[in-house]
Amino acid sequence: MATSPIRITVNDRLYELLPGRDLEASTTLAGLLRERLGFTGLKISCDEGACGACTVLLDGKAVLSCMLLAVEADGHSVTTIEGLAPDHPVIEAFIEQSEPGYGTALQCGYCTPGFVMTTVAFLRQNPKPTLAEIKEALSGNICRCGCYAGIAQAVLHASEKLAARGGVA
Amino acid sequence: MKTPFTQRTPRKHIGQYRPRIDAEEKATGKARYADDLASKLRVPDLVYAKVLRSPYPHARIRSIDTRAALALPGVVGILTYDEPEVASLKVTSAGWTDGVDTVSYETMMWRRYKDRRVLGDYACWVGDEVGAVVAGETEAIAEEALRLLKVDWEVLPFVLESEEAMKPGAPVLHPEIAPDNVMPEDTVGGPHRFVDKGDVDKALAKAPVVVEGTSISHNATQSSLDPWCCVIEWKQGTQVTVWSNSYETDQSRMHISQMLGLPITRVRVVSPYVGGQFGRGDTGDQPFFLFTALLAKKVGRPVKFKHTRRESFHDGRQQATYTARVGAKKDGTIVAMEFKSIGNAGAHADHTMFALKFAPMELTEVALAHVPNVRFEAYGVYTNKMPACMMRGVGNSQTNLILGHMVDLLAEKLGMDPIDVAIKNFGHEWERLPNKSLTEVLHAGAKRIGWKEKRHQPGQGPTFEGTKKRGVGFSFHPGWHAEWQEVRRGEVQVGMTLNPDGTVTLDAPTVETGTGSNTCNVLGCAEALSFLGVTPADIHWVAVIDTNLSGKDCVQTDSAVSFLQSEVMAVAAKEMKQRVLERAARNLKAGIEDLDVAEGRVFFKKKPKEGKTIREMMMAGPLVGITVKLSRPPLAERTGVPFIVTFVEVEVDTATGRTQMLNMAVVNDCGTVMYASGAEAQQIGGQIIGVGEALTEEIIYDKPTGVPLNFNWIDYKIPTMADMPEIDPVLMEVWRGGGEYGACGIGEGTVTCAPRAILNAIYNAIGVRIDQIPVKPEKVLAALGKAGR
Repeated sequence: MATSPIRITVNDRLYELLPGRDLEASTTLAGLLRERLGFTGLKISCDEGACGACTVLLDGKAVLSCMLLAVEADGHSVTTIEGLAPDHPVIEAFIEQSEPGYGTALQCGYCTPGFVMTTVAFLRQNPKPTLAEIKEALSGNICRCGCYAGIAQAVLHASEKLAARGGVA
Repeated sequence: MKTPFTQRTPRKHIGQYRPRIDAEEKATGKARYADDLASKLRVPDLVYAKVLRSPYPHARIRSIDTRAALALPGVVGILTYDEPEVASLKVTSAGWTDGVDTVSYETMMWRRYKDRRVLGDYACWVGDEVGAVVAGETEAIAEEALRLLKVDWEVLPFVLESEEAMKPGAPVLHPEIAPDNVMPEDTVGGPHRFVDKGDVDKALAKAPVVVEGTSISHNATQSSLDPWCCVIEWKQGTQVTVWSNSYETDQSRMHISQMLGLPITRVRVVSPYVGGQFGRGDTGDQPFFLFTALLAKKVGRPVKFKHTRRESFHDGRQQATYTARVGAKKDGTIVAMEFKSIGNAGAHADHTMFALKFAPMELTEVALAHVPNVRFEAYGVYTNKMPACMMRGVGNSQTNLILGHMVDLLAEKLGMDPIDVAIKNFGHEWERLPNKSLTEVLHAGAKRIGWKEKRHQPGQGPTFEGTKKRGVGFSFHPGWHAEWQEVRRGEVQVGMTLNPDGTVTLDAPTVETGTGSNTCNVLGCAEALSFLGVTPADIHWVAVIDTNLSGKDCVQTDSAVSFLQSEVMAVAAKEMKQRVLERAARNLKAGIEDLDVAEGRVFFKKKPKEGKTIREMMMAGPLVGITVKLSRPPLAERTGVPFIVTFVEVEVDTATGRTQMLNMAVVNDCGTVMYASGAEAQQIGGQIIGVGEALTEEIIYDKPTGVPLNFNWIDYKIPTMADMPEIDPVLMEVWRGGGEYGACGIGEGTVTCAPRAILNAIYNAIGVRIDQIPVKPEKVLAALGKAGR
């Protein structure tokens, strides 16, 4: 294994990490972020790319951090849920959803950071999605509490908020 | 915008549509779960544990050579089955309690079936935790150490299906309990024939119309996203502290205290937020707490034990095969019902008899009371499969699968609408027929799904896109749980502190697993204390439950926490009012009898404009909060139960066999809606489990080896957003329970009716009945005679 440090930017801060000391060749990005760097917002639920709970952004694109080796993120920029502003439109929309008929957008909350990050990346690609497009885009994430209807509403509302703020997620 | 429900009794805070109180913490990723509490970063001396799991469905350990594993750098210690502290542990069960009450070793619910050795030498399924648990500096080292254990296994013959296990000569799992693998009769579940009312044989012989049917369910599993996890620190001379996602802190403390022989004061159990529950480990009595604790004692360092996703397939629903006969008069009046079930308990009994006997017994009382002749007979059978324990809708899901089947069969034979058959026959023994709640939920659901317009003769509807047929179906069930059904809880404890600044700290201990009962509690507290001008924003609910600090936690079972603690708050508020007036009398130098409090102000009865706000009055000192703590048993008032119903519309592709969900209407008579958005989230959310069980989820075993093949979420298919249809959640307030609010738990039951409703809808679509879930495409094609080969 190479012994030269790897450099990963996480939430705009640069981390220099030494293989052998800070991580192993087999350390996943999810493991590094949670266990070594303390970003516990993302969850490791299946650890095999099936549930989406560990989703983070890598150079702005949603990735499953349990399916990437930490060393693969060398030279890249990672955003975790801790890197989003608390008033981020997507976060706000997930918090606020209580429109009658759709329930809430979260219950136990374990899948929520993953859904939020997937949504952030998705709305960057498709700022005004239809319900069908939302269902397609978010079906890589599992919510066992079953809040899909509330989540879909939250994504629609986040899209409206983004448009109103005239910005990009 | 969909139409919101209308409250029967207008309330200030109860029943609102609003965000959850924990929404911000959870949506920003700040909410902490057991797995987030400890890593090497936070706890540098932490070690990680991994337990040996049997690779065989039935085997005994002759010996384990640990030398190579111990020699691996980074291995901190190994605890084995033959060490006196392990070997002397009492034989136990993971069915101590259904969570309603805290029980002791002596009073555990299924004490007849103590078949679990903690880290023993005897394995009864592939995955059974046996023999050894190792501690390593990293999880990878601990895993590697497991591979280095030299285990001498005595491999035994095994059996997977209950029908096979009941035959003479079949391998026997627990000879001391069940020499023929059939779990014996016991005092809690009763005899094999546990309900026998009237004369079923005679009534069936005389009945003008008799129908027979079969329903077969499977061992679906809870699949909480948050894997079971604990961190245990054993501090000699002080306390053993368990941070975990147990959602029964009081019961876990009792379990650990009794199994390890420690006084209750020496055990501390802490649970933060829990990432989904659905019945998993309903009992707080899991063996992994015990061997992790003993390992922590042995290595003298805090130990973390987290289940992998594969290991998280540790228990599930009882696979059950139900057969039934129902006899009726020509006008649809049911005269006799006979049910027989054979349930596959898997390797350990746990709560199998809860599903097979306890839940159906309750159903008989609350829904079948007006049928004069009823018989239930059940056999729980040990096999070498994953054990069945508790899963959301325990027993009721399996029973509903046959009940809704028989109603549909009977209605068809009589040429009646099944809605009319249901209304004609079912209700609680304390109520007259027709049951108002059942009638209203059925009519509301029928309207929402378009029952009259969409229903057609089985298989005779129009064809879409050349090969697709549509159909509608429903199933109903008594709701649970009303307050009288929670009497076993003994007492529900609540503490409210009015702080000097007028805010309120609410100690309504319950581990928040996602159900939203924390928001119900805050709304209930605001409602009860509205005379103090308290709003939900003024209330702080304590989210982390710590047995050192909290009262007894009200367990998230039966979905009943949504109202049980609020009912106690409604009573406690009266004492709070008295105490506030006492404080005000001192501060305002007046007699209590001259003062009153309303709308956040203390004032003179005779001069209502003279007075102070609560904050002004309290800040005048002394700056000590007013705390009211109250323990109160649930009310035993005999109120009967409300009903629930699920209507579905499906589309079946007769060319591919695929069933697609088109629409669902989920109707709950709630008594009182405590928190509308949360109740809707439960109604909608429960369908992922119901639809998954009905169509896609199934554990598959390799028959020659007994190895489960799909303990992962790629092959065990949980519905995603793309798989779920439009769901119309309908909240109603028809029935009324006891107490101030008259509510009941609704969340658990929302999963119950979907599988049967879907099976009935598939029959309506294609005109052929399928008796077994999950309905995968191959079953549809086989039913249509298109299976090929």
